[in-house]
Amino acid sequence: MAGGTATAASPRRSLGQDRRQEALAGYGLIAIPMILFLVFQIGSIFFAIYISLWKWGPLGPTGLNPFRGLRNYETILGDPIFWKAVTNTLYYTVIWVPLTMALGLFLAVIVNQKIRGQTFFRAAFYFPAIASSAAITTLFIFIMGPDGLFNGLRQAAGLNPLFQLLGFGPTYNWLGESRTAMNSIIILNAWTTSGTFMLFYLASLQSISHEVYEAAAIDGASAWQTFWKVTFPLLRPGHYFVATVAVIGGLQLFDQAIFAGGQGGEPNNSLTTIVLFLFRSAISDFNFGYAAAVGIILLVVIMAATLIQRRLFGQAPSW
Amino acid sequence: MTAPAPVTRPATPVAVGPATGGKTSAASEPVGDTGARGRRILAYAVLIAYALIMFVPFAWTVVTSFKTVPDSVRLTFIPDPISFQGWDEALNGLSPGLIQLFFNSAIVAGVVTLTNVIFGSMAGYAFARLRFPGREFLFILVLATLMIPDQLRLVPVYQILVLLGLVNSNPTNYLGVVIVLAISATSIFLIRQYFLTIPRDLEEAAKIDGAGFFTTFWRVMLPLATPALAAVAILQFQGTWNGFFWPLVILQTPGHWTLPLGLFQFIGFHKTDWPPLMAVVVMATLPIVILYVFFQRYFVEGIAASGVKG
Repeated sequence: MAGGTATAASPRRSLGQDRRQEALAGYGLIAIPMILFLVFQIGSIFFAIYISLWKWGPLGPTGLNPFRGLRNYETILGDPIFWKAVTNTLYYTVIWVPLTMALGLFLAVIVNQKIRGQTFFRAAFYFPAIASSAAITTLFIFIMGPDGLFNGLRQAAGLNPLFQLLGFGPTYNWLGESRTAMNSIIILNAWTTSGTFMLFYLASLQSISHEVYEAAAIDGASAWQTFWKVTFPLLRPGHYFVATVAVIGGLQLFDQAIFAGGQGGEPNNSLTTIVLFLFRSAISDFNFGYAAAVGIILLVVIMAATLIQRRLFGQAPSW
Repeated sequence: MTAPAPVTRPATPVAVGPATGGKTSAASEPVGDTGARGRRILAYAVLIAYALIMFVPFAWTVVTSFKTVPDSVRLTFIPDPISFQGWDEALNGLSPGLIQLFFNSAIVAGVVTLTNVIFGSMAGYAFARLRFPGREFLFILVLATLMIPDQLRLVPVYQILVLLGLVNSNPTNYLGVVIVLAISATSIFLIRQYFLTIPRDLEEAAKIDGAGFFTTFWRVMLPLATPALAAVAILQFQGTWNGFFWPLVILQTPGHWTLPLGLFQFIGFHKTDWPPLMAVVVMATLPIVILYVFFQRYFVEGIAASGVKG
């Protein structure tokens, strides 16, 4: 095997056998992961497309005439609950994404200053993101419930007359009323995810050279002007990345919705999202063909959203 | 990272945001002392307020787990009386009990972490260092799986697991979750990127000493990649420990439920029984908090490097 000379200048001649062994070792090392990817990821897409064309129960095609062609898709597009789910999901995404991006950017800019306890604050702001959606949502249901911490605090602060004016009684159940359920989930997720987006933005901020800021300082720009005229536009690649990740995540809202609203997305389907609708079709109704078709529609929606964003942000400029 | 850092003067950090003034250097614009101080105080006020918003709910959870049920809806920060009823109920009253849930979570998260480190380092090394036909294509295929939404895979994966007999009440029920999560593209990607930064000299030396590909990988390269392996282990442990979707789909018998699944069931049935619920929340969060305290760096690096994980 060995035999290579120690002189760095002469490139080692790779013998054919050596090459073959290297290739075999490579295939050997990737074999198990590749099989899992091919079956459970790549293969499952094609399987999902196939299933979506059938009336399909948990044990395969069901009924006398199981092949449905595109009729599952037709039924879905004519289902008012599906459109309710789409509306809810889009509403959530359109409000939650910019809100959380703004919060994340705000935190990143503050934490990026020369401040005492920088590490502590960064760690603190990321803290809610490390816990499970299950734990956080349970906690949030408790806090926002009729006897919860939030209602207690607003009473203690003497804010109840103000809330009464807006139509919220002293024991209002924030997640239990259609009017506020989705908005509460938006606030919950803005709270937990702002720390993650802060980390993304911090990485982006630290890639901006100091010279740009020095030039701005020499020109006499105020901190406010520097932020809006220099920092914000220079963060464009960061905005693009965070927005893409956020929209993909937003369109898949599920955990918090099913925790707070159960499988019915209660109250009154106000927490029924596309994924919850899919889950319900599969696990409660055993209508697998239908659920698979919803999954394909979701994939198309996510891909379309990603493409639209790429259009909106264009090519990341090379400053 | 090949590009050399741009030539920087001994730079003075200039204020980026609206919240603080340029206090650091005499060279930056002269800011009125009081104005700068005022803005700095404002900045700290915002920071501390936001940090409180981050911590108070968790503190409230711990406090509530030591309250009695009637006390749990009162706005007092010190339980009166301090009670272990909630914990007792969580350990002995819920079904399955807290210990069973914790054990199930530990099994699933532990095994999935192990498989990700093993398969991730193998494939990561192969994609970084070994030359074989189709390598680039296969690597792109791996990365492409990051774009497939989990929910789209619900029906087909469930079907496949039914065919394999891994759904429903049998001891192999855990295996269904493990096999779906056994390897993620993120793990392979992170480890591959790390291997790419290690100089080739060491492998050349090992080769000259007569070591084969596997010996080189196992004896020389793998020990060098420990930081990447640690990052992957922590990222995967946290993700699987917290995971809800696949356990919800696959683990159908209560004896197999993980902590998030237990919470999901209990929140439906015990919605006003807050102390035991909060005890479960504490146990579902505590291991991750401990990891976070000791390995914060890896959390941050993993997130910054991978991004895509929901």
